[in-house]
Amino acid sequence: MALEGNIVDAAKALTLGLSTGLGAIGPGIGVGYLFGKTVESVARQPELRGELLGITFLGLALTEAITFYALLMGFVAFFLV
Amino acid sequence: MIRSHLRAAMLAAVVALLALPAWAAAAGEDFDPSLEFAVEPYWFELTLGPFDLSINKAVIYLLLTTVILCVGGIWVVRGGLRMRPTKAQNLVEMAYEFADSQIGRATLPARAMPTWFPYLATLFLFIAVNNIISFIPLPMSHEADTFPGGLPDLGLYAATANINVTLTLAALTFLATHVVGVRAHGPGGYLKTLVPDAPGAVKPFIVTIEVLSQILRLVSLSVRLFANLLAGHLLIIMAAGFVILVGSVVGAVAIPFAVFFWVFEWVLVAGLQAFIFALLSGVYIGYAMDAPH
Repeated sequence: MALEGNIVDAAKALTLGLSTGLGAIGPGIGVGYLFGKTVESVARQPELRGELLGITFLGLALTEAITFYALLMGFVAFFLV
Repeated sequence: MIRSHLRAAMLAAVVALLALPAWAAAAGEDFDPSLEFAVEPYWFELTLGPFDLSINKAVIYLLLTTVILCVGGIWVVRGGLRMRPTKAQNLVEMAYEFADSQIGRATLPARAMPTWFPYLATLFLFIAVNNIISFIPLPMSHEADTFPGGLPDLGLYAATANINVTLTLAALTFLATHVVGVRAHGPGGYLKTLVPDAPGAVKPFIVTIEVLSQILRLVSLSVRLFANLLAGHLLIIMAAGFVILVGSVVGAVAIPFAVFFWVFEWVLVAGLQAFIFALLSGVYIGYAMDAPH
């Protein structure tokens, strides 16, 4: 079967997929850990729930941003290079 | 109460998103979501030497945000503040209290509050309103063949999904931290705060890392906001237009995902990113003021 298209396009598409997928592993673990710990803390001290949620969402935003750095690099490779 | 609001929002989202691919299909062209983020002159073109001052999509969103905030603020305050607040007054008071307790007092030292709280609150409100209006379909698409009179099709776009906008906001904070630092410690004293206590041999490395981290703040602040909004909008547009991307009706399975992302982004991400941006700005400014010697 003959392949059409050029190898650079294939590499770009692979880069986008790989960078997004690999970049999501770490933050995925991080976000799971973050909320797991929050659930644990709230179970231990339910009266701190509001305060803990605020800190959790700050951590969430900082952690999930890492996914977007990877995604961004993928976009750069896909659209700009 | 909240549930009924959420249901109404979901319904509106479904209707809006079901309509999006239909319009794109009516265009009968290739549907390329990335084109939605290209900024071309929208209204009129104006170039002054090397500066491109054309009114493009991003500028329109920025102006819209400014108008909403100014007119809304004046309308609420001039309309007379009451002891039993109206809904609008309630909303404004809630926003103020949130900015005051969660952003201002949480990060700034007390003596910096009068000078820098207005800046942080402005950042918060500006980015939040910008993000919130960016999830409402407005006639901002790059295609124009549904409406008469050359009006563009409905599309989603955010000024904050443009790196130029977020980088400018981050540069403001970057500048503010150094101004605050120099004011608080004097030029020489501020440079000294960059040099921590460490044994002589390690010092150059630590100073390098410190300077690098100052510059990386610029990158992380701007890219966090920009990438969040860009990825969110791209996901929604791609999922909503999946029928056309795939080229068969099977793509319709992605529409519930589009609705889910739309609600998720609007309810959670829009406000959260504005909060994070303002909070980190406050942390940096507070740190520059009270840097450990």
